Amino acid sequence: MITKFTQLLSVGALALGASFGTAHAAETVKVGILHSLSGTMAISETSLRDVLLFTFDEINAKGGVLGKKIEPVVVDGASNWPLFAEKAKQLLEQDKVAVTFGCWTSVSRKSVLPVYEKNNGLLFYPVQYEGEEESQNVAYTAEAVNQQATPAVDYYLAEGKKKFYLLGSDYVYPQTTNLVLLEYLLSKGVKLENIGGGFKKDESGKIISAGKYTPFGHTDYQQIVSEIKQFAASGDACVISTLNGDTNVPFFKEYAAAGLSAEKCPVVSFSISEDEFRGLPAKQLVGQLGCWTYFQSINTPANKKFVADFQAWLKTTKTPGIVKDGRVTCSPMVLSYVGVYLWKAAVEKAGSFDVDKVRAAYKSGLSFDGPGGKVTTQKNMHVTKNVFIGETKADGQFKIVKSFDNVYGEPWLKGKFKAK
Amino acid sequence: MNFFHRARRLLVLAALSLGLLSRAADPARPIIAQAALAESPAQRIAIITTLIGSGDESIQGLLAAWKEDALFVYAAPDGAKIPVQLSGDKDDKDSQAATRVDTGKPLLSAAGQPLRLIAADLTAVEHTSALRRAMKAVLDLLDLSTPDLKKRISAIQTLGFAQDAEKLAALQARQKLETVPAAQLALREAIALIGLKDASTEVKLASLQELEALHPIGSADALRAALKEAEAASHPSLAAAARAALNAVDRHLTTVNFFGTLFRGLSLGSILLVVALGLAITFGLMGVINMAHGEMIAVGAYTTYVVQNVFGSGLALSPFGFSFHLPGMNTGGWLYESYFLFALPLSFLSAALVGIAMERTVIQWLYRRPLESLLATWGVSLFLQQFFRRVFGSNNVQVSSPSYLSDNWTFNDIIFGWNRVFVIGFAGLIVLGVWLVLTRTSLGLLIRAVMQNRNMASCMGVRTERVNMLTFGLGSGLAGLAGAFLSQIGNVGPSLGQSYIVDCFMTVVVGGVGNLPGTVVSAFGIGLADQSLQQILLNPVLGKITVLIAIILFLQWRPAGIFVTKSRSLEG
Repeated sequence: MITKFTQLLSVGALALGASFGTAHAAETVKVGILHSLSGTMAISETSLRDVLLFTFDEINAKGGVLGKKIEPVVVDGASNWPLFAEKAKQLLEQDKVAVTFGCWTSVSRKSVLPVYEKNNGLLFYPVQYEGEEESQNVAYTAEAVNQQATPAVDYYLAEGKKKFYLLGSDYVYPQTTNLVLLEYLLSKGVKLENIGGGFKKDESGKIISAGKYTPFGHTDYQQIVSEIKQFAASGDACVISTLNGDTNVPFFKEYAAAGLSAEKCPVVSFSISEDEFRGLPAKQLVGQLGCWTYFQSINTPANKKFVADFQAWLKTTKTPGIVKDGRVTCSPMVLSYVGVYLWKAAVEKAGSFDVDKVRAAYKSGLSFDGPGGKVTTQKNMHVTKNVFIGETKADGQFKIVKSFDNVYGEPWLKGKFKAK
Repeated sequence: MNFFHRARRLLVLAALSLGLLSRAADPARPIIAQAALAESPAQRIAIITTLIGSGDESIQGLLAAWKEDALFVYAAPDGAKIPVQLSGDKDDKDSQAATRVDTGKPLLSAAGQPLRLIAADLTAVEHTSALRRAMKAVLDLLDLSTPDLKKRISAIQTLGFAQDAEKLAALQARQKLETVPAAQLALREAIALIGLKDASTEVKLASLQELEALHPIGSADALRAALKEAEAASHPSLAAAARAALNAVDRHLTTVNFFGTLFRGLSLGSILLVVALGLAITFGLMGVINMAHGEMIAVGAYTTYVVQNVFGSGLALSPFGFSFHLPGMNTGGWLYESYFLFALPLSFLSAALVGIAMERTVIQWLYRRPLESLLATWGVSLFLQQFFRRVFGSNNVQVSSPSYLSDNWTFNDIIFGWNRVFVIGFAGLIVLGVWLVLTRTSLGLLIRAVMQNRNMASCMGVRTERVNMLTFGLGSGLAGLAGAFLSQIGNVGPSLGQSYIVDCFMTVVVGGVGNLPGTVVSAFGIGLADQSLQQILLNPVLGKITVLIAIILFLQWRPAGIFVTKSRSLEG
C-alpha cells in the first residue's frame, strides 16, 4: 500500500515537473501565449494553447513569418488575475515577445491591459466579450456583443418570440451584455414587462442591471426554473443565457426536469461551444441554441481541412500535457487561429515586427479566409466576420439554422439602441 | 383498449376530418412534395402553411420523417427531381426502400422495378426551426385529436394563446368530444382566451368570468392586455371583470409559489441532509474534522459515472499512462435506465472502502489530535482530487439522468420534479436506516459506546480499532450515496466535493455537533429558509448571504448548535 502510494506521488511529481521545452533556431521571433493552464479556467484555456501551438507549427512548416520561425513562449496565468499581469510583464520586458495571444475572461484582459499599454505591446484576444473597450494595444478577434447576442435576438424575433428571459452568471460580461440586450429589445418594440429576470434601478429610476444572476458554482436552480416556467406559461417565450461553465449542468438538468423543452421555451447560450460539451450532457440540451462566429459543423472545404489538420497535429505532437482524444474545434479556438494569421498578414504588410507598424497595417483592413469564412480587420481593432446560429444535437455538435454574413464588430453599444 | 374506445376514436377522427376541416379533400402528399422541392426556406414555409387545417393522414408521418432527416430528393436518370421517403430496414449495402412523397407509392426504376436507395448518398431535405414551427402549426390542429394526452393539451394551449378566432370552431368541436378532464380544462381556457378577442361585449365578459373561475397562469398577459383595452375604451364592467380575473390569477400564483417554495425547501433540505449525514457521523460522532468528506461524495459520483458507462458502451480510461478499456454491457432502454439502482449500493461500497482505507492509513493515528487530522484529511482531499484528474481527466464527466428522474408531476401548476421527490424519499430512507443501525444493531451499540468513551469501551473488551474503522466506513459510504444522487442534478468533476464541503460543515455545526436529529432539523431549516428567501428577495445570491448571516448570528447565540450534546468525547 505504502509503496503504491509513493509510486503515485512520484508520478504526480514528474507530471508537475515537466515543462515546455523551447527550441532555439537561428532565426526566430518570440511569440507569447498567455493562458491559464491550471486552475478553474484551465479546462477552456488549454484548448486555446493547443490550437495556437498547432497554428505556429503550421506557419513554421511553410517558412515562418518574414522568414523567421515562430518561437512560442508559453506562460501559465493559473486562473489568477494578478498573476496574469505579472506574466504579461515577464513576456514583454524579459522575453521581449513580438506579440501575445491570450486571455479568456474579461477580468484577466482588464488586468493585463495596463501592462500592454505601458510597454506598447500587442495582445490578440479571442473570446466573446462585453465590448465597451477599444485599446490600441489589443486586437479583438473576439465576438463583440453585436456579433453574438443581438443576432440571436434577431433570430428569436423572426421566430415570433415575444417574451425574453435574461439569465447569466454574475460578472461583467453577462451584466454588460444584458444591459445592451435590454436596450436592443426595447428598440425592437418588445415591452418592458415582457423582459423577464428582474431589473435593478438606481435612485433616479434608471435601470442599472437587467436579468437574473447566479454566482459561479451555483447548484440550485429550482426557484429560477419555476419562475421561467411561469414566465413561459403564456407561450412565445425564450431564454437568453450567459451562464458560464459548470453552472449550465444543474440549470439544464432542472430545466428538463420541470418539463421545459426547446420547443416550448428555447434557450440560447452564449458560453456553450463544442468544447464545453466535453463536460456537459448534450442530450439534455438537444434543440437549444448556440450563437458563435464559427461551428465545427460548418460545411466548407476550408473548415474540413482545418479540422482534419488539427486532429492530425494532435496525433503527432510531442508537446507534453495535450489531451488527444475526443477533441473538437470551437469558436474561441478558431478566433485564436485566425488571430495568428491576421498578425502574420499585418507583419508581412508592414515588413517589420515593430508593434506600431504592425498595428497600422492591421488597421488598414486585412482579410483572411479562415475556417468560419472571411474575416476582415477594422480600424477599431475589431474584426468583421460571419455569425452563425446553431441548434444543439445529441452528439454535442451544432446544426446551423441561420447565418449572418460579414457582421461589423462594434464595441460601443451602450446607448446606441433607442426605444421607439 | 376495448372496442368502444376504438370506435369512439374513429368517430372523432371522422368527425374532425369530415365536418370541420373542410379542406381535407386536398391531398397533402403533392403539397409536401412541392415544399420539399422548393428553393428557399421561405417558400417551403409558405407551402407548408397551406396545409393548416388539412386532416390528411399522411401529413403526420411525412412531416415527422422530414424532421428526422428521412426525406430526400432523388435525381432520376432523366433529370427529374423526385422527393422520396426512405424507410424500412437497411440491407447489407445500407440501402432502404424508397417511397415517393407525392404519391405514397414505391419509387420505380425505368424498368418498373422498385428502387432501393442509400441514405448516405443523398442529401436530406433541409429544415430550419422556422419551418418546423410552420410544421408544428399544421400538426397542432392534427394534434387536437391525438391520443397522446400531453401532446393534445399542448396543442390546445398553443391554439388558445394564439387567440386566433379562426381556430375557435375546431376547439369547440373538440370540446364536444373530449372526455379527459385535464384536456377539457385546457379547452375551456383556450376558448375563453380566444373569446377575449371577440367583438361582442357579452362574449368578452363571459370569457373574463370563465378565466376568473379557471385562473390559468398563462392567461395573465392576455388579461393584462384585455384590461388595458377595456380601460382605453372606458368600459367599466369589462375592466372590473378583467381586474377580478387578474386578481384570481395572482392569488393562484401566490398559492403555487407558497407550496412550490415549501417543496423546493424540502428538497434542498433533503440534499443538505444527504450530503451532511455522513459528516455528522465522521465529524459529529467521531470528532474527526474530515476535510476529505467532499471527496467521498465525489467517489460516489464517479462510481455512478463508471456504472453508467458499464451499462452503456464501456469506458476508456488512461490513468497514469496506462490505458485500458472497461467493457460495456451495451444495454438499452429499460435495463440501461436501471443503472442508477445498481449505482446506489456500489457508490456506498466504493466510498466506504476508500473511507476505510483512509482511516487505516491516516486517521487512526490522529484520533486525539483534531488539528492534525484537519491538515491530514485536507491533504487526502487534495490527493484524491488530483487522483480523479489523472484517472477521469480534469473536465467534468457526463452523467445522464434516467427518464424516471427527469420528468415531473404538475399538480395545480406546482411542479414536483421526480428527481426532487426521489431525494426527499431517499433522505428519509437513509435517516431511517442510520437510526436503525445505531439503535437497533449490536454494531450500533458498539459505535455509541466507543464514541462516548473510547478508553472505557476498550477496557470492556470492545475492539475499538475495528469499530472506528467501520464507523468511518459508514460515514464515508453515506457520502458516497450522496454523490450518486448529486450526479443526477449537477456536475460530476474533480472539484465536486469542494462545492459541498462548506454546506456540509454548516449543516452539522448548526444542528449541534454529535447529534444526528440536530443535523436533520438544521438541514431542513436551512433548506426552507434558503428557498423562502430566494422566493421573497427574487435573488439567489442575496438569499444565500442572508442565510449565512442568520447562521452566524444563531451560532453567536447558541455556539453548540440547535441541540447541545453532552458528550465526554468532545470534552476530552
